[in-house]
Amino acid sequence: MPDASAIVDQLVFGVVYGLLLGCVFALLAHGLNLIWGIAKVVNIAHGEFIMLGAYGAFFLNLSLGFNPLQSAAIDAVIGLAVGLAFYFGVLHRELRGKEAMTPRSEMVTLVATFGLSLLIANAAKIAWTGDLVGIPWSAGSVSLGSLRIPMGGVYVAILSVAIIFLTHVFFTRTHLGLAIRAYSQDIPAAQLQGINPTFVSAFGTSLGFAATMAGGAFLTVMFPTGINPYMGALYAPISYVIVVLGGPGKMWGSLVGGLTLGVILHVGQVFLDSSIAAAIAFLTLIPVLIFRPEGILR
Amino acid sequence: MKFLRFLRLPTISDLGSILKVGPTAWGIAICLGVVAVGARYVSTYPLTILISLLVFAALAYSMNFITGLTGYVSFGHVVFMGLGAYAWGGVVGTFHWSPLGSVVIGGTVGLLFALGLGAVTLRFRGVYFAIASLVTALAAGNIILAIPALGGGQGIVLNLGFEPLSQFYTIWLILAIEVGLTYWVTHGRIGYGLRAIKGDEDAAKTLGIDVTRLKLFVFGLSGLFAGAVGSVNAWTVSGVFPEAAFALLFSLLMLAMVIVGGSGTFSGPLVGAVVVYIPHTYFLTVASGAEFIVIGAMVTFIALVVPEGIVGSIRRYIPILRGILE
Amino acid sequence: MRLALVASGIHKHFGGVRALRGVSLSLTEGEIVGLIGPNGSGKSTLLNVISGVEKPTAGTVTLDGRRIDGKPSHRIAGWGVVKTHQIPKPFLGMTSRENVTVAALFGSRRMADVRQASEEASSVLRLVGLEAKAETLASNLTVQDRKRLELARVIATGARILLLDEVFAGLSAGELREAIELFARIQEKLGVGVLVVEHVMRAVLTLSQRVVVIEEGRKIAEGTPQEVVRDPAVIEAYLGTEAARAAT
Repeated sequence: MPDASAIVDQLVFGVVYGLLLGCVFALLAHGLNLIWGIAKVVNIAHGEFIMLGAYGAFFLNLSLGFNPLQSAAIDAVIGLAVGLAFYFGVLHRELRGKEAMTPRSEMVTLVATFGLSLLIANAAKIAWTGDLVGIPWSAGSVSLGSLRIPMGGVYVAILSVAIIFLTHVFFTRTHLGLAIRAYSQDIPAAQLQGINPTFVSAFGTSLGFAATMAGGAFLTVMFPTGINPYMGALYAPISYVIVVLGGPGKMWGSLVGGLTLGVILHVGQVFLDSSIAAAIAFLTLIPVLIFRPEGILR
Repeated sequence: MKFLRFLRLPTISDLGSILKVGPTAWGIAICLGVVAVGARYVSTYPLTILISLLVFAALAYSMNFITGLTGYVSFGHVVFMGLGAYAWGGVVGTFHWSPLGSVVIGGTVGLLFALGLGAVTLRFRGVYFAIASLVTALAAGNIILAIPALGGGQGIVLNLGFEPLSQFYTIWLILAIEVGLTYWVTHGRIGYGLRAIKGDEDAAKTLGIDVTRLKLFVFGLSGLFAGAVGSVNAWTVSGVFPEAAFALLFSLLMLAMVIVGGSGTFSGPLVGAVVVYIPHTYFLTVASGAEFIVIGAMVTFIALVVPEGIVGSIRRYIPILRGILE
Repeated sequence: MRLALVASGIHKHFGGVRALRGVSLSLTEGEIVGLIGPNGSGKSTLLNVISGVEKPTAGTVTLDGRRIDGKPSHRIAGWGVVKTHQIPKPFLGMTSRENVTVAALFGSRRMADVRQASEEASSVLRLVGLEAKAETLASNLTVQDRKRLELARVIATGARILLLDEVFAGLSAGELREAIELFARIQEKLGVGVLVVEHVMRAVLTLSQRVVVIEEGRKIAEGTPQEVVRDPAVIEAYLGTEAARAAT
């Protein structure tokens, strides 16, 4: 008879680790959500920027010895710049002067970011080869009863939530943040008040990229050996599902969605085949889209 | 299906109008004819290249129905290929049916799954449909991986004889049917309906277009052909392997071909297939992955600068050719 | 056989907002009925309910006795009742002729042959005065032309009852005169039933045989244009109690 306490241990560990992982997923989704909610663009190349964040952490570690937490900060700054470049290079042409996203703009940005994702992932492959690399860093672990919880995971989870919380504070307590939020929720009216739409979309995009790349660096703590050019294909769909679950544009949505998915994936792995767990996690999207397309949160 | 009312038996005047199909259709028909005849005389290696190219073209045409003509971007289209391939592999492996005949089974499975999936997902708008399709493909791939009866990670290995000529004619036939259907759709009533849906779905509804039925129809068609092509693909490697059958790679290539060639045009998918095929094959042996840098750059450029794709842009900027190139 | 549309006791609630509170209206093929009322009175909502875009919370809509409320809009269009959009929604990637051809192919005519539908489209474009722009892409049309295109599409579906949502809005005095004349000509030629939702009084009062006034989701007056214009309840709704008192 299987040892009941061992199973309970596994379950508890699965939940705890799932929550930690979920926080990082939430940050990744948050980055996507910022761009989706503010610039109204769904970035199909999202996964590739997660990958770039992870590689950033790898190279910073390799050359300057930074640990992933430090690299995340640097990645965030780089992300701000990359986001601006991305907005003006790719999105501005299509979005400029438009009052709302037309179905055509939606298609154009969807397809353009799709092309970019192909380009970036494979340019990375050519530049850095497809070999898996990892970052040898550990912050030790702490014992919780009979479980060993990796401290690195705890740190990145806390930092992820902190970042999400900070952006929430920004968008609800600061003048600029409220203005941007008002704008992205009702474009024509806010435009009348003299808010520059280009500024708003560029701002949202660069903030989103900063969060995404920092999240990529955090991911390397949870998955120390899994960095490869195609890792975006693994984490991007998770982000999309989380954003839809939590509700596109809703600030706290990514956290709720991320935690949910993180736990489902991880606990699912304990009891079911990991592929089935992944399949179930992905498929939660469909009933949500049918019954609550605005997201689980009200 | 009410539209069946508009299918009637061919008459002599239809034969006459078939001859009036226009230069592009003639051009494509001649190409197909030449290729069909020439296949008997080329040696094996070029034949496999040709088969590969026809597979690409057939996938492009299948994608064109739902994405090019109707405007629904399907990132997970490979799921129909994969399911069709597994159905094919199942009946060939277990019941020892003929690989050629079983392609029909693959197509049927693709059709049925498309109708089922479409009933649920086609109600979602643009972006959400794209994500839902992506998620379905991933989930399907994962589920199949976990089913031991389907070979799990190993897939289904069949030891079929090497019959490139049969494979060639099968894929040729699939492509020819697709080209014919695409012509019929783009020149007929259904084509107008699809373009209306692509233009403004709500307005289309108020003008009397049964949007749900039309979308389901083309989605079913595209699933049918994707399933059939997936089966042929599995036939060429004599087996069905999960990572390959459900590889997002195919979805990406299909989408790229339609966008590069020209969404919703008659010859666009063919042009796109050729244009994408060249870097794909060239770089395969030289530097795997580089082809996607080229293809990705093409797609991004086209989406931002000339969204009509190659054929669409030619028609738009060179009006003289508009009557000739479709 | 003249088509008869009857909307009876229509209620429409959107969450807490009660857009329509028991409105009844009837219209026969061949007559022009104006529907006016202050902003937010529920005019467009009523059109949406009749055309099937929205389902009524309560009440029925019948066409020759057969219930059409709650049915999908493409079905209702197939039965001959079609609505225009307040802000025109042309198919931007297609030419004017192609836009109208779509309507002729579907709608209540459901033509099978594209060539015939295209010819029909040409004649409808001529009717609304857009024949010069038949091959122009809809994305290159002016707002005025788009409104005409919207009208052309509705006509081409073969609709016998047209629901027009503010087609006269935003026109200059000269354009308005032209539009009213055009409309009168079309109506004379086709003999369709039209429900005209409008803010532009001149158009409604000139063209309608009968006018219905709604305010805050309720019908407050109905009659000939002359009667309605003098009705104190109507004046009050538009101009306030002072004006009503001043008028009587």
